Amino acid sequence: MFYLLKVEGSSLEPDFSEGDFVLVSKIPFFFRPVQPGDVIVFNHVLYQTMIKYVERFEPETGEIFVIGTNPESIDSRIFGPIRLRSVLGKVIWHFRRKRV
Amino acid sequence: MFHEMLAKIDRLVGIRRAKAHCDIPCGIYDPHQAQVAALTVIRMLDLMTELTNAQKTPTLEYHNSISRHIAVKEEHAELVKREVRVIWGDYLKQEHLDKYPELPGLVHKIMQLGSKCRQGVSRENAMDLLAGVNRFAEIFWETKGIATKRVKAPYKPGEEIVYPVL
Repeated sequence: MFYLLKVEGSSLEPDFSEGDFVLVSKIPFFFRPVQPGDVIVFNHVLYQTMIKYVERFEPETGEIFVIGTNPESIDSRIFGPIRLRSVLGKVIWHFRRKRV
Repeated sequence: MFHEMLAKIDRLVGIRRAKAHCDIPCGIYDPHQAQVAALTVIRMLDLMTELTNAQKTPTLEYHNSISRHIAVKEEHAELVKREVRVIWGDYLKQEHLDKYPELPGLVHKIMQLGSKCRQGVSRENAMDLLAGVNRFAEIFWETKGIATKRVKAPYKPGEEIVYPVL
């Protein structure tokens, strides 16, 4: 129901940084479907567990287009849409690393 | 406080990672290698032409040199294709294609010319390959907001090449 994960990489800078922790759950989706702007964690066959922003969701096909904030981000612009069933959940809590 | 606690737990048990990855190596793209490879294709054709014109009777030495030039021409024509493919596939995004609608046709043309240069000995095709790669380099640097200049390469075959003005 809940996953605790550590962010690795810089594709969501400055919102999420390397070393931040996030608490992720599917529970919010029981009350409201995936929305653009949600930060979700999902499994990708090639890149494994990833965290990205939702750019858009197409309910009829179950396809979600995800995007990073960094122009070099590996996201749906590279690997196309992801499937709704691959989503582990939405970020419901963000534990920021202390900035120096 | 929460973060410090979680960091300790992570050190002890290893919390699962969520990747927010960029490409690796992050943002390192440069069409220069493709340009040098295109120049090399032209240079190999020039060397092959010089060698053949100077040789009245083919010798073992001649066959050896020609074979080596052909091998390098093959390798570098393929290298042009590979380098352009990497930038095309990994760096260029839809916004670039929208801004430069000539890009898909240009990349396709480079791929075809690369193959033609491997198959044949036309200097014209090799010059067209260089022209295509130079235009590709101009667009690449423009996407980064970096101006370019065209200068003659300071080595044989001395053809024009696009450099970023840094």
